[in-house]
Amino acid sequence: FFLKKITFVKHNTLPNMDVTLGLLNGGDDEDGGGVPSDGSTTNRSILTGSKEDNNNNNMVVMSSEVTSSSYPVVGDESLDGLELGLGLGIGGGGGGLKSKMVASGGGGGWNQYARILTAKDFPTSLVSKQNSCSSSSSVNIPNNSSSSGTKRTATDSVSPPNGTSVVGWPPVSKAHRMPSLASQLKSPTENFVSKPEQNKSKNRTVGLKDYLDERNGISNKKYRSVKVNMDGTLIGRKVDLNAHTSYEMLAQTLHEMFFRSSAEAVKPSRLLDGTSEFVLTYEDKDGDCMLVGDVPWEMFLSSVKRLRIMKNSDSNELAPRFEENNQRHRD
Amino acid sequence: MFPEEVLEHVFSFLTSHTDRNSVSLVCKTWYEMERWCRKRVFIGNCYAVNPKVIIKRFPEVKGVELKGKPHFADFNLVPEGWGGFVWPWVVEFAKGYPWLEEIRLKRMVVSDECLEIVAKSFSKFRVLVLESCDGFSTDGLASIASHCRNLRVLDLRECEVEELSGHWLSHFPDSFTSLEVLNIACLGSEVSFSALERLVARSPKLKTLRLNRTVPLEKLSTLLQRAPQLIDFGTGSYSAEIRSDVYSSLKDAFSSCKNLKSLSGFWDVTPAYLPVVHSVCSQLTSLNLSYASTQSPELTKIRLVVLDCIEDTGLNTVSMTCKDLRELVVFPSEPFVGDAEVQLTEQGLVSVSQGCSKLQSVLYFCRQMSNSALISISKNRPNLTCFRLCIIEPTVPDYLTLEPLDVGFGSIVENCKQLTRLSMSGLLTDRVFEYIGTHAKNLDMLSIAFAGDSDLGLHHVLSGCDSLRKLEIRDCPFGDKALLANASKLEKMRSLWMSSCLVSFGACKLLGQKMPGLNVEVIDERENLNSLPEYAPVE
Repeated sequence: FFLKKITFVKHNTLPNMDVTLGLLNGGDDEDGGGVPSDGSTTNRSILTGSKEDNNNNNMVVMSSEVTSSSYPVVGDESLDGLELGLGLGIGGGGGGLKSKMVASGGGGGWNQYARILTAKDFPTSLVSKQNSCSSSSSVNIPNNSSSSGTKRTATDSVSPPNGTSVVGWPPVSKAHRMPSLASQLKSPTENFVSKPEQNKSKNRTVGLKDYLDERNGISNKKYRSVKVNMDGTLIGRKVDLNAHTSYEMLAQTLHEMFFRSSAEAVKPSRLLDGTSEFVLTYEDKDGDCMLVGDVPWEMFLSSVKRLRIMKNSDSNELAPRFEENNQRHRD
Repeated sequence: MFPEEVLEHVFSFLTSHTDRNSVSLVCKTWYEMERWCRKRVFIGNCYAVNPKVIIKRFPEVKGVELKGKPHFADFNLVPEGWGGFVWPWVVEFAKGYPWLEEIRLKRMVVSDECLEIVAKSFSKFRVLVLESCDGFSTDGLASIASHCRNLRVLDLRECEVEELSGHWLSHFPDSFTSLEVLNIACLGSEVSFSALERLVARSPKLKTLRLNRTVPLEKLSTLLQRAPQLIDFGTGSYSAEIRSDVYSSLKDAFSSCKNLKSLSGFWDVTPAYLPVVHSVCSQLTSLNLSYASTQSPELTKIRLVVLDCIEDTGLNTVSMTCKDLRELVVFPSEPFVGDAEVQLTEQGLVSVSQGCSKLQSVLYFCRQMSNSALISISKNRPNLTCFRLCIIEPTVPDYLTLEPLDVGFGSIVENCKQLTRLSMSGLLTDRVFEYIGTHAKNLDMLSIAFAGDSDLGLHHVLSGCDSLRKLEIRDCPFGDKALLANASKLEKMRSLWMSSCLVSFGACKLLGQKMPGLNVEVIDERENLNSLPEYAPVE
C-alpha cells in the first residue's frame, strides 16, 4: 500500500477569547474583547455563528464536540426583564452584583463567548424543512409526534442504523447493553469449546462472551470512539469504531452524520474513493494525516486517533496524488 | 464532660459516615475520641485524600469503602487509563491495617497483584465487594480463594474480569466453610460446576448465591437442593428444552427455599419454566428480570427490575398487584434503536405511581413523555426520593404539546420534597433549572444531559440546590461564567463532571489556581483547547 501524508490545512481561527475574573460586563461589544488576563489560553472552539459560512450541513448546536441535537432558543420574551448579575464569589464571598447582563440569545454580555444559533441564522430552506410533517425530516422520534410548528428546531437522529453516534447515550451500563443481542442466540451451550474439567491449564476458556463478541464482529476491546471533524462544519461528532466492521460501514455512518441534509447527494462510497469534493482522512498515532482506506481495517483501528473530512480543494498537496489515485483503482 | 468510655459507647451507635464526620467536628476531644473508634471508613472519591492520612487518622479501621471513577464512566465517557487504581491504597492498608476485614470498591481498577496482596496481608479478611471494577483476572480470584480462610463475602457486581480459567473456584480449600455471599453473575465463562457444587454444599451459611449465565438451567436444582437456606438467588441461563423431570425437580427445589426473598438472573428465559418460581413469589421482595425479555410477573415484591418488554399492560398489572413496591427499574431492551416495538410509554410509569403508594425510587427508560404525565406522577407520589427518567432520544419534547418538559420536571421537584436524586432527559430549557434551584433543596445528586440554554441554567442549580453534592453534566451549553461565579459552592460538593460543555481551559486553570481545595482535572485529547470534562472533587 501507499501511505499518503498530508499536512493539515489551517482552520479559520476564531477570535481570541480570554477568560478572566472581571469579564462580565453587559456593556461590552460582541467581539469577545473583555478584559485581558494574565496569559490565559485561547479558546478555539466556541462558536460564533455569524462569522462562519453556514453551509447546509451545519447543525444547530452549541458545543464543538459530540452532539447533533439542537439547543432550543430561549425566546427573548421569556427572559426579558430577567437580568442576572453575576459577580464572582470566589473565596466565599457570595454573589457580588457587579454587572448585569441579559441572558438571552440575542446579544450582550453572555454572548461574547457563544451565541446560540437560532433559526434566523439558517437559510429558510432548512427552517421550512423542520416545519414539515413528513417523517423524512431528520428527526427520529416516535410516530405520534410530528416535528413541526414550534420555534424549537428539531433534533437530529441519535442512532443511525449501524451504530450509535452519541457516546454514552442512552446511559445503560455495559451489563445492560447486551440483552437484545443475546436474545438472538438460540442455544449458547452448543458453542462452548473447551470443558474446564478436562483442561486444567491456563488456556482461556472460550465462553459465551467470546461467542457473542465474535458473532457481532465486535472486538474484545472496549467501546472505542474517535472524534470526527469536517471542514466547514464547526461541530464535531464522535463515532464508535468498534461498532463498525469495515470502511464502507464507517463511510455510511459518516455520510449520515454529515451529509444527510445536504442538497447534494453524496454517496457514501465517494468519501472513500476520492471522487467527491470531500476526502476522508485520519490522524494516526504519530500525528500524521493519512488517507482513510489504504491499510487493512484492523490496522486502521489500531492506529487511528481521530478522523477528518477534508475539502478536496483545500489540500493542494493532495491533488496530484489524487489523480494518481483515480487511475489506480482502490480495492 | 462525659468520661471517654461513655463517649465511646455513645459513638458506637453511630454508623453513618455523615454522623461520624459531624461528630468529629464538635471539638478536639470528640475528634480524638471518634477517630480512635471509627471502624468503617468511607471515601467517596479516592483522589480526595491520601491513604496515609486515613490510616494515621483512623488507626482501628476494620472496613474500607472506596469509590474511584466518576459515574459517567459506566457510559464510556471516561477514557481508558484515567485512574481509580486501588493499588496505592492496598499497599498502605497492608502496612497500616493488618486486621482489615472488609474492602468495598466501586469503579476502581484492581489488579491481580492487588488481590494477591489483599489475600495474603489480612488474616482476618472477610468481605470483598467489587462493584463495576476491572483490571483483574481469575488468577486474582484464585489468590483470594486460596488464602482468605475466613472469607464470608465475595461479591463481584458488574465487573469486567479477564477470564483465564474456570478453576479459580477450586482454590477454596475443602476446609473452607464460611462463605455467606457468592456473586459471580458478571463472569462470562464457565466456572467449574463440580467445584461450585462442592463449595455450595459445604457452606451452610450461604445466604446469597448469584450464578453466572453459563450455569445451565438443568443444574439449578442440584445447587438449590444443597442450599435451601438461600435468601438471595440469581439463576444462570433460564433456558432449556422443556422436560418434565427438569421442571419438577426445579419446582421442588424452589419450594424448599423457604427463606428466598430475592430472585435475579433469568438470562434467556424459556417462559414455560417461569411458573416454577411462583411458589416463592409471594415471599419475594426483589425481583430482577432485567435480562428476561418476557412479560410475566404478577408477583409481589418491593424492588422490581424489568425490561421494557413488560410494556404498559404489564406495569398496569404491577400497579394493581405490587402494593409494597418501593423501587421500579425499567431498562430498554433495544436502547440503540429509534423506534420501539415494545408498547412501553409514560403510561406505565403513571399507573405504577398511582397504584403503588410506597414507590420511592424510579429508573425508567422510555421513548416518550409528557408534562401532564410528569405532573400526575409528582402528585401521585410526593414521597419519591429518587427519580431518574431517560427518554431514549435526546431533547425530545412533550409528545403531546411539543413544549419542553420544564414544567413536568418542575412539578417533580416541587411536589417531591424529599427528592435526593434526579436524572433528567428530553427537551429542557433554562427554566427547568430555575425550578430545580428554587425547589430541590434536598437534592444530593443531579444528572443532566443535552439540556439548558445558557449559563443561567447552571447558575440556578449551583446557587439554589443547598444539598447538592454530585453534579454530572454532559452536552449542555454551560460555560465558564456560572462555574466561576459559584466556585465557592464547588468546595461543598463531592464532585462535578462536565463533558462536551463550553467550559474553557482557562476557566479550569483559574479554578485550580483560585480554589486550592479543589482538584480540577481536564481531559482532552487536544493540547490546549476547550476542555471536555472537568472533574472537581472536594475534600
